Amino acid sequence: MNRDEIPPGTLYLLILKTLARHGELHGYEIANSIQRTSDEVLQVEEGSLYPALQRMLIKGWVTAEWGTTAGNRRARYYRLTAVGSRQLALEISQFERVMGAIGRVIQAA
Amino acid sequence: MNKIHEVLRRLRMLFYRKQFQADLEEEMRLHLELREQEQTDEGVASSESRRAAYRRFGNPTSLKEKSYTAWGWGWLEGLMQDARFALRQLWKAPGFTVTVILTLALGIGANAAIFTLVKAVLLKNLPVVDPRALVRVGDRADCCQNSGPNQDGDYSMFSTDTYQQMKKNTPEFEELAAMQAGFENRPVVIRRDGGQDAPKPRMGEFVSGNYFRMFGLQPVTGRLLSDTDDVAGAPLVAVMSYATWRGVYNGDDSVVGSTFWMNTKAVTVVGVAPEGFYGDRISSTPPDFYLPIATMPDEAGGKSMRDPAQNWLDIIGRVKPGVALAPLQEKLSAQLKRVYATYPDFSAADIAKTHLVLTAGGAGTQSMQENYASNLKLLIWIAALVLMIACANIANLLLVRGMQRKTEMSVRTALGAMRSRIVRQLLTENLLLAGVGGITALAVSYGGARLLLMLAFPGDQHVPISSRPSTEVLLFAMCVSMATGVLFGLAPALIGAKAPPADALRNGTRTTTGGASLLQRGLVVLQAALSVVLLVGAALFSQSLGRLQHTDMKLQSKNRYIVHINAQAAGYKDEQVNALYRLLEERFHAISDVVKVGVSTYTPMEGNNDGYGIQLVGQPNLHKSATNIIVNSEYFDSVGTRVLMGRGITVQDTATSPHVAVVNEDFVKALFKPGENPIGHRFTAGGDPAKPYEIVGVVQGTSYTDVRWNGAHPMYFGPLTQPSEAGYAGAIVVETAHPISDMESIARRTLMEINPNLAMQKFETFDAQIAGRFTHEQMLSTLMTLFGGLALLLATVGLYGVTSYTVARRTSEIGIRMALGADRSGVVAMILRSALLQTLLGLAIGIPVAFYGVTLVKSQLYELTTVSNGALVAAVGILLAAACVAGIIPARRAASVDPVRALRTD
Repeated sequence: MNRDEIPPGTLYLLILKTLARHGELHGYEIANSIQRTSDEVLQVEEGSLYPALQRMLIKGWVTAEWGTTAGNRRARYYRLTAVGSRQLALEISQFERVMGAIGRVIQAA
Repeated sequence: MNKIHEVLRRLRMLFYRKQFQADLEEEMRLHLELREQEQTDEGVASSESRRAAYRRFGNPTSLKEKSYTAWGWGWLEGLMQDARFALRQLWKAPGFTVTVILTLALGIGANAAIFTLVKAVLLKNLPVVDPRALVRVGDRADCCQNSGPNQDGDYSMFSTDTYQQMKKNTPEFEELAAMQAGFENRPVVIRRDGGQDAPKPRMGEFVSGNYFRMFGLQPVTGRLLSDTDDVAGAPLVAVMSYATWRGVYNGDDSVVGSTFWMNTKAVTVVGVAPEGFYGDRISSTPPDFYLPIATMPDEAGGKSMRDPAQNWLDIIGRVKPGVALAPLQEKLSAQLKRVYATYPDFSAADIAKTHLVLTAGGAGTQSMQENYASNLKLLIWIAALVLMIACANIANLLLVRGMQRKTEMSVRTALGAMRSRIVRQLLTENLLLAGVGGITALAVSYGGARLLLMLAFPGDQHVPISSRPSTEVLLFAMCVSMATGVLFGLAPALIGAKAPPADALRNGTRTTTGGASLLQRGLVVLQAALSVVLLVGAALFSQSLGRLQHTDMKLQSKNRYIVHINAQAAGYKDEQVNALYRLLEERFHAISDVVKVGVSTYTPMEGNNDGYGIQLVGQPNLHKSATNIIVNSEYFDSVGTRVLMGRGITVQDTATSPHVAVVNEDFVKALFKPGENPIGHRFTAGGDPAKPYEIVGVVQGTSYTDVRWNGAHPMYFGPLTQPSEAGYAGAIVVETAHPISDMESIARRTLMEINPNLAMQKFETFDAQIAGRFTHEQMLSTLMTLFGGLALLLATVGLYGVTSYTVARRTSEIGIRMALGADRSGVVAMILRSALLQTLLGLAIGIPVAFYGVTLVKSQLYELTTVSNGALVAAVGILLAAACVAGIIPARRAASVDPVRALRTD
């Protein structure tokens, strides 16, 4: 199957949105969720997922807590904070503005 | 707000780094395992599924590192990596590391120690309010009270009378206070009323009533002195020093208001001086009690307070804001001229010369400062020389190390290391070294300062100088060591980092001409030169000390003991002392094995004397002055001074017999023509024509106060029992047939039996008393030797480093030579030759510098004006011997090179 890399600069947006939808997830679930929701088109480069999560922790967009998976394994669950929600809204509006602009450029005859 | 939280979170990451790392690792491990599981579930073979998971995930280590970068502490991690690496590198070269650290520690430590002392002794202000506004009337450190004209007319000590006139007539001073000069020699005997303790000698300083007010001090408890305390007939009061209150009376508040028996007089202690106040000068004997000047005749029986001609006070004042000092100095000098014009001792020429100089008074009367200034300045220079040698050494060691690691650097460059990274790495290493060196230096400086204090004040516990390095000294040591690290580390680091990678691959260390660079050799030459200067200095100072100690002082110190008493302090009156002297002679003679008992005001090499203007009767006034000592009949024998002409003082010289004096050779030289017989001539002293002395004998010119007095100081000796200018006898010289180990307790008991109030103020063997006059010279000589040794050690290490480096570099060349038939001795000679050549060059530079240096320190040397042959031979010999040692070890290593192996290396 042909998969596409995540467009640069949108990883935060995707993670934030995924967390907003599902409440709390660990890293593996985030990666899988993005892949599934995008109908297997977007594949998170797992190498950049964890540094991104670390940065988001520092920015205070997400918090992390240790919990147990269904398979009874210890895993770190990430959850959106209030700051993260605001950031999500900001990223979405920014993305839409850029997408709209690109769309206009493409459609111009 | 968010930013602050972010920073806090980053800091948390830093502090719980380990935890966060573990969490991250676990998280990633889980991820990998889940991914692997997923693959297996999809039916991929287990070995393949793992690989696939990893492929998707990427390199976990580099991921971890990326995550650190996310935390923002990458630079710190890098730095710690550098530091760890540097530590490993230094650990691998312990010889180098220890040498550099020790060199830095000794070089900087010696400087820091000297600066600690310089700051404490020369630059320290008294702990008083606004010390900068204090002005001292006078500029010299006169030790002993005196009367009569000074040779150069510059006065720094004054009589009570002069002080009071000055105070009255100078509204320019807010306060003008006076204090007893030379009080080191004037203890009072104290016993607390009701206590069981025996009377003890303590330091009592007589000061004017406004003394504490002038300094702006507040009492710890009770009150300080006031003007009403300082009038004749006032109740006797005293202020206790804080150190005494704490140390002797355990800070007991009931001390204030209680009665003390001071020289047998009841005195009320009214208060305690502030903590840290050690009097008006730095001294090894700070005052325990401050007493009003006007009570001196009552308490100490001294005549100086009432004698308008007797100079015994130092004066310090606080000037009003805006007062110009130059006109004030003129005004005071003019006043002094008017005062002295009324004194019979002074000629018109003396009056014309009379003047005084105002100096900064913030540091008090700087007698110790003056005594030590030239020595300390010399020490600063020497310490700076040692530091230069140390720096040269470190530069050399770092250069050598830099060159040795050239290959390593080339390889690292070839492997793609960035130049900036390599420089940073090397700098980290050097700064680490410098840091450790700096800290060690502080330990050395603390120990060094303590050692200096011990040398300067042997046996004294009370010097108000701390050997603890001050903040400035701490900063200085740290800055110097860091500067050394950067400065001398940067060059080799840059050279090292520049190494073209090809060098490493080209086997480029094989060389025949190589060896140490010109810079390195130059540094070794410089070290040798500086060492020879210091070694010559050390040899000269110990020679000077030797000459001083072996000067014929015209006295005998063997089996002699000196007991100091204070009859005034014990309450004796003029009419009672003759009986006391007789008792002293009798009782001390009664001790078994006592041969002679001398009683006198002062003894030779005691460091004090009374001087008076003298004039031959019937002759014009030559304005000469002489020291007066009054003695009993056995005194000359007891100190070993021989009578040359006429007779000594005898038991027949009594209060009722003719007024006589025995004079010394210098007295005769000063007042008589060559060949003239002085016996029978008469002279007056202290300007009192009523009781002229008749000269009955001439004695040798024994050294008093200072061995440099030898043959240059007129003295006259009168009988104890006849009226004189001098006070009461204060010294008993006991000569015994053989050494008596418990003489001290015997003497104390003997005094107690005569009068319980007659406390023994000091007990010393005559030898110890003489040695005490050489502490200065002893200190200088010891320090010069220490520094010379240090310089020599550093230079030897430097030469050794460079020579062994040369040998290492030339290993293959030496191998070839030996393969071609060179014998071992030839190789040894070749290596030694170059080591000695550098030393000889150093000598060629150092010896002229040493000659020049001596002209600068001539004044501090006794009877030495240029480099003596002995000093030169000693210095050159020691340096050459050290060079041979430094050269022979690597030379032997070179000679033991196995030609086959040498050719195979590199």
